[in-house]
Amino acid sequence: MILELRDIYKSFGEKQVLTGVSFKAEGGKAFGLLGRNGAGKTTSIRILMDVFPANSGSVLIDGKPIDYSKVGIGYLPEERGLYPRKVIIDQLTYFAELKGMGRKDAVKSVDYWLERLGMTEYRNKRLDTLSKGNQQKIQLITALAHDPDIVILDEPFSGLDPVNAMLLKDVVKEQISKGKIVLFSSHQMAYIEEFCDSIAILNAGKVAISGDLREIKRDYPRDRLVVRTEMPEKILYDFGDACSRAENGDLLIQLNAPSEKKAIMTRLTENYDIDEVRVFEPSLNDIFVEYAGNSGKEAQV
Amino acid sequence: MKQFGKILKFELKDYAKNKAFVGITIFLVVAIALVMFFPRIKMLFKSNSVSDAPVEKAVILIKAEDDTLVDIVQQTFSSAFSDYNVQMTDKDTDSIKQDILDGNAQCAFVLTGPASYTYYVNNLSMYDTNQATAAEVLQQIYQMNTMLDYGMTPEQALDVMTLPIDGQVETLGKDQMQNFFYTYIMIFALYMVILLYGQMVAMSVATEKSSRAMELLITSAKPINMMFGKVLAACAAGLVQLAAIFGSALLFYNINQSYWGSNEIIGSIFAIPPELLGYMLVFFLLGFLIYAFLFGAISSTVSKLEDINTAVQPVTFLFVIGFIVTMISMSSGNVDTTLMKVCSYIPFTSPMAMFTRIAMGTVAWYEIIASIVILVGSTVGIGILSAKIYRVGVLLYGTPPKLPAIIKAVWKA
Repeated sequence: MILELRDIYKSFGEKQVLTGVSFKAEGGKAFGLLGRNGAGKTTSIRILMDVFPANSGSVLIDGKPIDYSKVGIGYLPEERGLYPRKVIIDQLTYFAELKGMGRKDAVKSVDYWLERLGMTEYRNKRLDTLSKGNQQKIQLITALAHDPDIVILDEPFSGLDPVNAMLLKDVVKEQISKGKIVLFSSHQMAYIEEFCDSIAILNAGKVAISGDLREIKRDYPRDRLVVRTEMPEKILYDFGDACSRAENGDLLIQLNAPSEKKAIMTRLTENYDIDEVRVFEPSLNDIFVEYAGNSGKEAQV
Repeated sequence: MKQFGKILKFELKDYAKNKAFVGITIFLVVAIALVMFFPRIKMLFKSNSVSDAPVEKAVILIKAEDDTLVDIVQQTFSSAFSDYNVQMTDKDTDSIKQDILDGNAQCAFVLTGPASYTYYVNNLSMYDTNQATAAEVLQQIYQMNTMLDYGMTPEQALDVMTLPIDGQVETLGKDQMQNFFYTYIMIFALYMVILLYGQMVAMSVATEKSSRAMELLITSAKPINMMFGKVLAACAAGLVQLAAIFGSALLFYNINQSYWGSNEIIGSIFAIPPELLGYMLVFFLLGFLIYAFLFGAISSTVSKLEDINTAVQPVTFLFVIGFIVTMISMSSGNVDTTLMKVCSYIPFTSPMAMFTRIAMGTVAWYEIIASIVILVGSTVGIGILSAKIYRVGVLLYGTPPKLPAIIKAVWKA
């Protein structure tokens, strides 16, 4: 299954929020939707979920307009919140039923997930008696109980302790392995990098970059070398302006052109005591800062 | 449709579990029971006290300065003041005053002539009718004596004095007296229920929004289902509550009917004609729905619970104006004024105005149909519009938007 947003425009009043947003997410893979606050992530998600229509553009499943009666969507909103004064099993069943499940199936599925997340003991308690982390786990069930085809998780890891984060990771991996489309939105780049095969970075309502994460990284000009060594001072002196020290102590050597790579590598290994030398590949964080920052680059796919 | 059913069920369950809702209903039923059983309870105490200790009647002293009148005065005063122990006296005025001050007598009439008296009483009550009664009695005695003086036999004189008048009433329009009480009750019930349940719908929407459960709801259910589910659940809960209150009132009334005897007010309330009951239901339902939709829609634009009251104020205002217009025309006795006629076609005032006119005024059938058609159309229209406002409103956080901004947003959506 392939989910595609194609050329979406959306404005609220005078304010243009989305300008030609397009991206594709594939089943069995996780997709990261990134961007700074106010870049248009939530608006894109809401259009995708048919909360309100786009001014123009389309949401497609396998190339055809999405049929919301057939495609199930599970959503964990960034702004968490359920009914604080209602019993957990009642409200979870209610949300599953709203998504079209029968009563019995809904109870069964909710019970499965309560068990899976270690929350069975809270089944008949009021939500406001739970800790924040546990409330978040309850909220996660509303996104998963009805066994949706598309799972949208907005900042799923915020507020979770490492043990619960691990539990959530397992759940996410399981969803991906079931062939579902998992759409992440997060500022925690490490998680995105761990899960997502492809990403889209939004900047001011436009897609600054999107595609396969490895390809994006590979497309970066391979004109920088990372060097780990016991004798950095000498290299820094010899290479002058072309060499700089990174935060972790590694050296970065800027090449005049990628074609110099082999010659410089040979020169380094032959003349210095080198532990490691490799071509520099940007982290997702670097890419994010570059595309979503104030001087963000324009779209290039 | 399935989704609407789920929402309706969920919301209804919410009312059933709402302690305040259940508590108020039970309290009102108990209160109604107390009122309806009151005459029976009173009788119970009365019969007890009669058998145990007979109540001593208060004493009225009468002094007639004209001795020839003593007999007839005692007779007529005794029958006119049957709740009192009427005693004739020939003490002087000072000792009569002393008797009253000492509490030996409650009051005294000193008859200084056939048409003049002095009334002695300790504290003159606001509701003291003794003087009026005394004046009537003295007038009768005077008339009687005059007739006897002119040679009539006492029987003839009595016939003249107590001539029974046979009067009959044929009401061609409405008996306003008869219809007044249940119209009043219906208008008042509508007023209470709309404000109470309108507030509840508003609270329910605003709570979902402020707890951010809305983020999930709006992506799980269609706004129109949410809106109609919520409002119809409130409507059903309101009807159940009213049915419980009026049902128990009717039940308790029937149990105690003999004790209420000929109490016209209570009797007229329960003698409501079936077709009026039908109209009452129709106008009640439509009036309730139209306001509940408005309350729901407006509260969806509010982010904080404490802003609700300010936000719904214009609607409450509109409603209170309708209420006051209806109430004033009801108590003035003329419910077919031009203002009421206009109000009975405006959907926000017609439930009260038109029902009052049907019950207490003159309305042609086509006027009723026109009013109902306008009301039904507007209710459906406002229901759909409110769902649209709701969809736009629930996603707006921060300061509540101004009305033109909402209209613009709904128009564009």
